[in-house]
Amino acid sequence: MTNALELAAISKAFDGRVALDRADFAARWGEVHALLGENGAGKSTLMTIACGLYAPDSGDLVIDGSQRSLAGPAEATALGVGMVHQHFKLVPEFTVLENVALTCGRRYRGQATLRRALTETAEKVGLPVAAGARVRDLSVAERQRVEIVRTVMLGVRILILDEPTAVLTDREAETLLAMVRGLAADGTCVILITHKLHEVKAHADRVTVMRAGRTVARGLDAATLDVPELARLMVGETLVPPAARPRPPGATAFAAEGLRVRRADGTTAVIGLGFSIGAGEIYGLAGVGGNGQTELVQAIAGVMPVEAGRLSLGDADITHAAPAGRRKLGLRVIPADRHRLALAADLDVADNLALTGLASGRYGPALWASRPAMRRAAAAAIADFDVRGAAPDTPVRLLSGGNAQKLVLARELDDGCRLIVAHSPTRGLDVRACVAVHAALIRARDAGAAILLISEDLDEIMALSGRIGVIAGGRITAEFSPPFFRPAIGEAMVGHAPAAPREEAPEPHVGVRVAAGGRP
Amino acid sequence: MDGMIANWLAGTPTMAAPLLLAALGLIINERAGVLNLGAEGLMMVGALAGVMATFHAGDPWAGVAAALAASALVSLVFGLLAVVLRANQVITGLTVVAFGAGLTGLFGPPYSQAAIPSFRPLDLGLLAEIPYVGRALFGQDVLFYLGLLVTAAVWWTLHRTRLGLCLRAVGESPQAADAAGVDVQAMRIGAVTVGGMLCGLAGADVSLAASQTWVEGMTGGRGWIAVALVIFARWSPWRALLGALLFGSIEALIPRIQATGTNAPTFLLKMLPYLATLAVLVVTALARRPGQTAPQALALPYLREDRRD
Amino acid sequence: MMALALSSRRHVTRLQSTGALLGGVLFGLAISLALLLAQGIAITAVFAEFVGFVFLSDAGLASVAVEATPLVLAGLAGAVALKVRFWNIGIEGQLWLGAIGATGVALYDAGPEGMRLALMAAAAMAAGAAWIAIPALLRIRLGVNEIIATLLLNYVAFLLVQHLVFGAWKDPQQNFPYTAGFDAPVEQLARLGWGKTHAGLLIALAAVALVWLLTERSRLGAYMRAVGASPEVARATGVPVLLTVVAAVALSGALAGLAGFSVAAGEEHRLTQHLGLGYGFSGILIAFLGRFRALGVLVAGVLVAGLYVAGKSLQQFYQLPAALIELIQAIILFSVVGADFFARYRIHRG
Repeated sequence: MTNALELAAISKAFDGRVALDRADFAARWGEVHALLGENGAGKSTLMTIACGLYAPDSGDLVIDGSQRSLAGPAEATALGVGMVHQHFKLVPEFTVLENVALTCGRRYRGQATLRRALTETAEKVGLPVAAGARVRDLSVAERQRVEIVRTVMLGVRILILDEPTAVLTDREAETLLAMVRGLAADGTCVILITHKLHEVKAHADRVTVMRAGRTVARGLDAATLDVPELARLMVGETLVPPAARPRPPGATAFAAEGLRVRRADGTTAVIGLGFSIGAGEIYGLAGVGGNGQTELVQAIAGVMPVEAGRLSLGDADITHAAPAGRRKLGLRVIPADRHRLALAADLDVADNLALTGLASGRYGPALWASRPAMRRAAAAAIADFDVRGAAPDTPVRLLSGGNAQKLVLARELDDGCRLIVAHSPTRGLDVRACVAVHAALIRARDAGAAILLISEDLDEIMALSGRIGVIAGGRITAEFSPPFFRPAIGEAMVGHAPAAPREEAPEPHVGVRVAAGGRP
Repeated sequence: MDGMIANWLAGTPTMAAPLLLAALGLIINERAGVLNLGAEGLMMVGALAGVMATFHAGDPWAGVAAALAASALVSLVFGLLAVVLRANQVITGLTVVAFGAGLTGLFGPPYSQAAIPSFRPLDLGLLAEIPYVGRALFGQDVLFYLGLLVTAAVWWTLHRTRLGLCLRAVGESPQAADAAGVDVQAMRIGAVTVGGMLCGLAGADVSLAASQTWVEGMTGGRGWIAVALVIFARWSPWRALLGALLFGSIEALIPRIQATGTNAPTFLLKMLPYLATLAVLVVTALARRPGQTAPQALALPYLREDRRD
Repeated sequence: MMALALSSRRHVTRLQSTGALLGGVLFGLAISLALLLAQGIAITAVFAEFVGFVFLSDAGLASVAVEATPLVLAGLAGAVALKVRFWNIGIEGQLWLGAIGATGVALYDAGPEGMRLALMAAAAMAAGAAWIAIPALLRIRLGVNEIIATLLLNYVAFLLVQHLVFGAWKDPQQNFPYTAGFDAPVEQLARLGWGKTHAGLLIALAAVALVWLLTERSRLGAYMRAVGASPEVARATGVPVLLTVVAAVALSGALAGLAGFSVAAGEEHRLTQHLGLGYGFSGILIAFLGRFRALGVLVAGVLVAGLYVAGKSLQQFYQLPAALIELIQAIILFSVVGADFFARYRIHRG
């Protein structure tokens, strides 16, 4: 059987930082081929090369048996290769039809023809779309449908889907993957980029595994897969997660009551949300991304206004306090988007570390800001948190994700912290950095800080939390105490949760049993 | 009094035409995601090139051609820097203004106050006799009518053609346009050139139709008013026409107030267009509703493999 | 055939950045030289003026120092505002207002004579800061684009000066559009005894030192760096963003006003019709050439002042229009922003 798509010994570096190091990949006609790997393994970069958007530094691209050198995505489309990127390539200000016209306008001439083709294709693949709707008004799942339908409309025979289920509920994901199976049955080569092992097992015919820019396993048969072996291949090493033995929490350190937050575009992101955290407690907030987590973090941090409700930190009402005032009371934030909310990439390590401490007078009295004092503090933080490849005057832009995150921790987890809001603190980090982050959070908890841990990674939440709340549609829809039962939390995340936490869970999730006693 | 109002209305399109043409040129630029603050400089270059060619060739249409060519050249310099070399568009645009001022200051003096054949108001006979609006609608120079035509053409191209769709995509999301196979850089260079030529035409309008000679600094900030006009017009050609007529009427009012013999201080009166522009910017900002924003990629250079994070 | 590919550098080193700057300046100067030669000026004459007279003769250097005084202040005004991402294109307007403020104090003999100059300087700074307060307020409260707002106010300020020098403030003794002269010595900056240099030079140097201290060694400076690098990060980490922007912008307006004071009280000794023309763009140019740093602005200010002096003498001896200087400045800035590309991006075979 000829391969539909073959990439051989592909290397690619971005300004000296290697993303792909002689990576290989081959997929056949009529199969669903999973490309598995952790964040940053190079999966997306490799497929972005296959679809003509990035040019490889070296290596061969073979499409349907012929070696190709693509000058751009238009050439890839002509050869039948189409990709649905994780960050959709849709123009938000355009209508669905205009977006479809942008890629398919040459294939289907005339508005009427185009509209008819759109409706027909949408029906055929079972993903209905509203042609007249403006993309910016659509949900993420709806946008994805538009992307897939329009890619299919191009007559694509090699379809690449980048993390298609990341933004979907389980049920939506099932529908999508069933559609994908149908396409493959018709002879299309479908490549599914993912980091979810169970998806590979359930929906793929074969799997290729990447790690750190290299291919570590090529074209394994999904039916005979050994899951632990696959996990080891993907992660590279297994580290023992830190033992999380919570002590009984102290008095309530933080509370949100009836919180309501509106986005800049007028839609409501958080609706009547409420919970509290005790001193020395980690409260895990689980949920599918985009259910109000980001806005909740920004509201607590003070960079997004609270429309209604109350936030209190200790005895103080901080609902409308300025960010600086909240920090003074002990609020610390580790945001999901480091480079938008925590670190200024163009400033050096010393400046970034000093940012929050200038007002305290730590770096000089009155109006003064002593560079030597800033550099000394930075050197100490670099040593304490084992930040690699950094000196006080290194621009933060040059640090890797893990080391940048350690820098955020070094700044935020200081002596004065009383409430730590950590949003996806390990996203995109390698295993070693993850362990360091978790250890630092546990240290802070043991020192008496209240911690709000928000994550889409249920394993992370269950391993660290003393209690777990589930956020869906901007509300806390369920709350759980240990021992945690993974399926129940998962159900709650997609919106049909049991109202009360299950006390007698038959089979607590293996390996994440948290010592009971955190709560009665 | 009636005569004065008819006269004022009749004088408005002359003042509006350069603002309209420049604003349309800027709309093309900005819809493609390029912020071109150099309109004032391009207008100066167009105005002088128009006078020079008209002076030597004896035909104002030669002036129009020269204005288009000269402003296209300067636009290409801007495009090379702002699009190809991805220089900061604000500073590059400002420099175009200084460049235009320097260039016209260097080559302009021999043509100062030169007598040239120019575009005169058309005489459409009876139509122009209609009370109040007759001359305003039917007694204008040909460049004003050309401006109306260009307005319709720009609107039609932007919203009814594939070229327009791709252009708007490049300005809203170059990533999406690129993935769809649109050549982002070529599109932007094209928009910069064509848009810049309209700014040059606007300058030629000032020198060949409105003033009918060359005076250094004659564009007098109209390029900047056009920049503000684009914001007022929310990047729509028809609203730009509306705004141009509004500002044109303010400009046309000034000499007519002075002509009434009232003792209004000249220099304070001359502040009117600038203060009115500022006022309109404030009103536009106050009336802004969600969704009415500038093209999302405005002033952001595009590089496909940009992986800064 | 391999096509050329382009990628952005994650970090631009000081060396790359300085190299691109120097390369850009040299390229711009080369184009300008070609322009001068095309205007029929002998190459020997160009070098005699630009190098020999301007930088190697005592009289030339003194003239450079005089020209550099307001230019450095205007450059600092541009740099300080840009550090917090505020495009102050209205330096010229604030300079006009500064000159008006200083002239007002002088014409109405406000305050005791011993305090007169200090009052004039204070009025100039206040007027400059007040003039920039309008666009600053509009941007902060309403999100009005400050580039256009500051620029439009240049025209308004210019017309306000014309209104004054042709009207209420016109010198009753003369038939020219300027005000009566300032009284010596209480309303004029003292000469330093080196050409026409005056005490304004010391003020400009002090301003450089002050801005250096403020931006490199003070808490406000650290805040300004943060706001300039990322306003969102600054806000989220508790930096008083609004206060920082207001302080930097007001300082920018005050520095521009001070430049107006320096020209009026140090060179012209009255308010004249054309006193502020051209300083706005030069201020931006100098801020860019100086990479928004105080010491860089000082160096760039002196170089641009050299261009002004050489240009004036070319004007005198070759009847070249003053616009030539503006054109050369534009060419140099074009060249510098273009050359930056080679520092920021890496071109490789791809």
